[in-house]
Amino acid sequence: MVRFFLKFLLVQAVLFGLELTPWAQAWFVRPWTDALAAISADIVRWFDPQVIAHGNVLRSSRNGFAVAIEAGCNGVEATIVLIAAVLAFPAPWRRKLVGLAVGILAVQGLNIVRVISLFYLGQWNFDAFEFAHRYVWQALIMLDVLIVWLLWVRTLPPGAALAPA
Amino acid sequence: MVASPGRFILRVAAWLPLAFLLWYIAAPLLAWPVALLTTAVAKIGFSSIVDGVEQQGRMLTIVSTLKSTLASTQNAASGVLSVDLNPGLYSFGFPMLVALTLAARQPHMLRTLLLGYVVLTPFVSWGLVAEFLKRIAFDAGPTVASQAGFTPAQREAIAFAYQFGTLILPAAAPAVFWVLTHRRFLAEFANRGAETLGGQ
Repeated sequence: MVRFFLKFLLVQAVLFGLELTPWAQAWFVRPWTDALAAISADIVRWFDPQVIAHGNVLRSSRNGFAVAIEAGCNGVEATIVLIAAVLAFPAPWRRKLVGLAVGILAVQGLNIVRVISLFYLGQWNFDAFEFAHRYVWQALIMLDVLIVWLLWVRTLPPGAALAPA
Repeated sequence: MVASPGRFILRVAAWLPLAFLLWYIAAPLLAWPVALLTTAVAKIGFSSIVDGVEQQGRMLTIVSTLKSTLASTQNAASGVLSVDLNPGLYSFGFPMLVALTLAARQPHMLRTLLLGYVVLTPFVSWGLVAEFLKRIAFDAGPTVASQAGFTPAQREAIAFAYQFGTLILPAAAPAVFWVLTHRRFLAEFANRGAETLGGQ
């Protein structure tokens, strides 16, 4: 458990440090954030055609309300925590890769739900938007990471599980 | 007896709204130890730029020794710079920890939650102090930043501490604490899954 914990901290620190580099921001974080806005707009347009995305901004052309997807709201940090937890856990590489693929999809899928829900919550009530944005969704995304990781650990063969305290 | 994943997730979802409500109502009380620790950290670590820390309800204000504008031949120096901070931005993981702990139904839940609060409080203080330093170094303008006299390396360290204290620690620290304090639950949870899969 100690070994897992130390590896988790190390991988997380390295990935987070990499994320903050100008290279990663320019080539991965900003394009991904823009793509997230575009994907969210594509989904929303199924039922609300007056929504557009430009850059990292999701905007309603009906009332002018817009949300900008910033650091912390693009799911990158949550994904880093998930990657660190999966890579640090003793499991066959094949299982790790499957866990990462499914897990990242689950985290980013819920993050799209976060973006869209906040977009409409903000149009309804700004106080509710602020509470959900600052506190509730942050916790929900990390819960998602934790639950995805728990379910992944559950699929591993016996012996790979965490030793009890 | 460890719950099935679906039942466990449902329990977490059921506890979470109540945990958030209680956390929000109790925020002024929960912020008091945070204010004490933040005062100690700020006064010991940054005594040259921190005059004190004040609590108003759920908010904290770090009062600096830095002038917001410098005196000139035309103008006297204006008041010192104060930075308002919201501990909730760094402690929203606590209701998540409460929901997870209550959903896991392991022995000594209250003791685990009290320990969790004690363990997580330094991370909240980290976020608050890092935000204060970031506002001084980057947001308050060159007049204030020059009085603080941060070196380029210190500015880099402040930026990293702020980002890590904002984007990773508030959510990840409670989750890690929960994993570390629920190893027996996790072992049973995981082994039950493995047995189920093995039996298929």
